[in-house]
Amino acid sequence: MSGLAVWAAPLLVAVLLAGGVYAAAVIDLATGRSVAGTGLGPSALLQPFRRAALTVVQRPSATERPDVVMWLLAPALYLGLAAAGLALVPLSPTFAIADVQAGIVVWGTIESLVIVAIFLHGWSANSLQPLLAAYRFLAVGVSYLLLSMFVLIAAAIPAESLATGQIVVSQHGLWNVVRQPLGLPLFLIVALGSATWGPLNVADGTDLAGGTTAEVSGMPLLMWRAARLAMLTSFAATVFLGGWQGPWLPGPLWVAVKTLLVLVVLAAAGHRFARVPTERFVTICWVVLLPLSFVDLAVAGVGAL
Amino acid sequence: MSGAQPSLVVHGAFWVFALVAVVSGWRVFRTDSMVRATFLLLASFLNVGAILLLLGGAYLGIALLFMMTVEMTVMAVFMVAFMMNPAGLNPMSMVHQPRVAAVAGWAVFAGGAAVAVWGRFPRRPLDPAADVIGALGTELMGRSMLIFETAGVALVATMIGSVVLSSRRSRFGDEAGDIGSLPPMLDSAAGTYPPGVVSEPAGAGHHGSHGDHS
Repeated sequence: MSGLAVWAAPLLVAVLLAGGVYAAAVIDLATGRSVAGTGLGPSALLQPFRRAALTVVQRPSATERPDVVMWLLAPALYLGLAAAGLALVPLSPTFAIADVQAGIVVWGTIESLVIVAIFLHGWSANSLQPLLAAYRFLAVGVSYLLLSMFVLIAAAIPAESLATGQIVVSQHGLWNVVRQPLGLPLFLIVALGSATWGPLNVADGTDLAGGTTAEVSGMPLLMWRAARLAMLTSFAATVFLGGWQGPWLPGPLWVAVKTLLVLVVLAAAGHRFARVPTERFVTICWVVLLPLSFVDLAVAGVGAL
Repeated sequence: MSGAQPSLVVHGAFWVFALVAVVSGWRVFRTDSMVRATFLLLASFLNVGAILLLLGGAYLGIALLFMMTVEMTVMAVFMVAFMMNPAGLNPMSMVHQPRVAAVAGWAVFAGGAAVAVWGRFPRRPLDPAADVIGALGTELMGRSMLIFETAGVALVATMIGSVVLSSRRSRFGDEAGDIGSLPPMLDSAAGTYPPGVVSEPAGAGHHGSHGDHS
């Protein structure tokens, strides 16, 4: 479907991702201020740049004998995965940057590689707090990953296709958020986990002095933070909510509006809810949420019959 | 990729992927850390998956990437958890039975290479519009699709159920709240812990100092 030149696709992804990272940063600041009751103010628009500049001028820190290659590659991998995820999102009836047949399987691969990237980021620093955070995240990640698989398969059933474009088309008239009400909340849990955000910020939590980022500063830290925001954006865009469908506005604009809406929900969750205790979340994940995702799949299956 | 000769980019990509696959596969056995070995093996598999994608096996390639990623991640956890190597950071040898492994490895390589060199491969250009994924699913499962799919979900449910039934919770579950928070017994027959470890009644609460409350 997409007739995009080879050089144009990465450029477009980069532009969308940069916009997404900025929007996510501003939304996060704004929701944080709103929750704290300190008044929004226009300074939230400039704050992300100030913070970025401050981070960049800091000296990159070093630990004793880290795995340098993995330590540097982990943020790049994380950011690259967010970009790949965003590329799969259908922007209009005839256009997605990467219109692949097995779209949701690619998305599943991205989610699982995210776990690898975050784990290696903590592991390779060769330091206590990042290592604890990495293993803690791995337990959480392996638990939520399975949820996402069933939710994605459920979304594919009415579309009779693994392609994201077809899944959006299949929601014409009746969005999946109504047809499969369990899908969205479960997928948002996966989003919070994959961006290691808010209640599921087990990898970079302040309780472990920043977790995997405890020993990181300067440019690598900026990269990592940008990658987390990018991942949040990528997930928010992938929720679809009917994708490009909607009255009056052109398709891509609807995708942007819906993405920003989901970002607000995710950012608000980050400021509203306390971090989950790892062990309890893992139990809840396997005992409560996973059966719920089975129900979601069963509902989708029965609906398709 | 259908019919026509593959472009120079595809050729170049093939050689890059192939080289990285072989080199990272070799490094698996030369590195000294569980975690590095696992993720080098993953890197090798990912590059093989990329080659499958180049060959036009869209679903097979992506499925390989996906499955290997999850599999290697779980393997890393289990290897580190079950071996006496906290965090996978201590140096240790990644090979055992090297002679048997070398003979088996070369034999398999010779077999695969022989097939590649002397085998006759069909040349059937693929229609770009063909539903490759649907055809693959039908080829693999045919009329038993529904049975396989149902059995797959049932199997996952069974696995999870058995883990839930057999697992013993440590901090938030049952009365034996200190499981996992104590070092192993010195003498399991007599049931004695190292002196000074159990100084308070079990289940009293503040054992480990994991501190994952926010």
